Amino acid sequence: MSVPPPIEVRGLRKIFRQTTTGQSVIAIDRLDLTIAPREVVAIVGQTGCGKSTFFDLMIGLEAPTEGSIRIGDKTPHGDFDHFRGRIATVFQQDRLLPWRSALDNAKLPLELLGMAEDEQRKRALTWLKRLGLGSFTNAFPHELSGGMRQRVAIARAFVVQPDILLADEAFGHLDEVTAAELRETFLALARECGSTAILITHQLEEAISVGDRVVVFGKSAKLLADIHVAQWPKTKYALLREVIQSTLQSNKPDPRLKKIGSKTPRKKTLRS
Amino acid sequence: MNTSAEELREPVRVLNFPRHTFVSLLVFAAVWQVLSYLAPVLGIPPFAIPSLVRIAKSIATITPIDVVVTLARVLGALIASFVFGIALAMAMYRSVPLEKYLHPIIRLFMAVPVVSWILFAVLWFPGVEFRIGFVLVVVCGPVFLVDTLDAMRSVPRELRHMMQSFRPTVWQYFIKLMLPAIVPTIFTSWKVNISLAIRVVTIAELVGAVTGIGHQLSVAQELFSVADVFAWTIVLVVLLFLLEAVVARVEAHLLRWRA
Repeated sequence: MSVPPPIEVRGLRKIFRQTTTGQSVIAIDRLDLTIAPREVVAIVGQTGCGKSTFFDLMIGLEAPTEGSIRIGDKTPHGDFDHFRGRIATVFQQDRLLPWRSALDNAKLPLELLGMAEDEQRKRALTWLKRLGLGSFTNAFPHELSGGMRQRVAIARAFVVQPDILLADEAFGHLDEVTAAELRETFLALARECGSTAILITHQLEEAISVGDRVVVFGKSAKLLADIHVAQWPKTKYALLREVIQSTLQSNKPDPRLKKIGSKTPRKKTLRS
Repeated sequence: MNTSAEELREPVRVLNFPRHTFVSLLVFAAVWQVLSYLAPVLGIPPFAIPSLVRIAKSIATITPIDVVVTLARVLGALIASFVFGIALAMAMYRSVPLEKYLHPIIRLFMAVPVVSWILFAVLWFPGVEFRIGFVLVVVCGPVFLVDTLDAMRSVPRELRHMMQSFRPTVWQYFIKLMLPAIVPTIFTSWKVNISLAIRVVTIAELVGAVTGIGHQLSVAQELFSVADVFAWTIVLVVLLFLLEAVVARVEAHLLRWRA
């Protein structure tokens, strides 16, 4: 299992020009962020804060206006083809191709990589079985429940065993029980594959339960907080949730966070 | 919970007896037969509404070669129109300037009446087959093109985004996403164009052709044989229904994922 390269975001800016008004909108304003290999980072922020723009920049579908995203010594936009099979995504909706069966959907990324048909089938079947869909490999998306479709989408992401996994509100539309179950599965598989995972969410519980780090975005993806969850005991998760909520509402770091800080020793954290 | 997809899937209905169609056609035939008896009483010349027996006799004398020739012209032109339409639609989808320059011309072509195209073909081209082919392609091609282009633009942004995130080549993007996504529209275009082509080919064959159903209709008209006109018209309608049925069967097979 190779170690995925680190992700370095430096001075990242993304400005869009609105087609209707012609005005410029700063979606991301000078973001700096470093993500270590195999880290699981949850990004939280209010609607319209630039999370999805950051997601598109990470995929490489958008080019930064200024600054850079570097994954190892490559950039996802500039070296687009290099990341074929190295970056995989899970979206909010399953985004399965309705004319393909579960199996054919799961093996889509392998087809794009030009892998041998037998190997594609073997790998896709393995992942579908691991995600509990062994009996539904020939089912079309409309024959599956929302949770099952999202499982196929997860299989489609993991089938290439990517270096970097990106999930954009991947469990937000599911019922609580299914979402919790899939979240756990996703996390376990990401750890097993040794992938770096970035999850974008607006659900604080999800961010805290999944992430090694919780990164809080303010307006224009201003970095309000970068919290190392491991430094917080589980008994203090309610407080952590409250602190993040307050940070998001005021669009500035909650003073309690500053006191604690991401590198603050646990004892201090507890006392605070 | 362990129900498999096959068990969930509804059984496909193979063939249903078209009871309603059968009844309505039977009623129509009965009314026609009654009218043919009553024609002299109503002051209509008897040859204007020939009896079903007379029409059946005309059908029995039909020359299959003319049917085959018309069918070959229709299918050949439809395939050429389809290839031309799809190829140009893909090019226009990829290139905005090309789309901007070509769109007004396509609109112009679609606005020209079929009769004008037939006259242009007669004036421009000496060969009968080329004339008929030209008219069919110039009438049916833009329908395929416009429908395909619209369908490509209607592929959901979410699916395009998902596909791009896996970094396909341009070819893979078209083959794995765009082409399957536009298949339902392609079938609708085929159904529209089959009907259009059958009508256009008949008119085109009326002018200058020495074979085909259109030519035979022209001969029947010259001989003042209304029964023959009806017989050839019935053949055309049956041909249209058969072609539509073939397309519907292929459509049902390829779009079974929509069941």
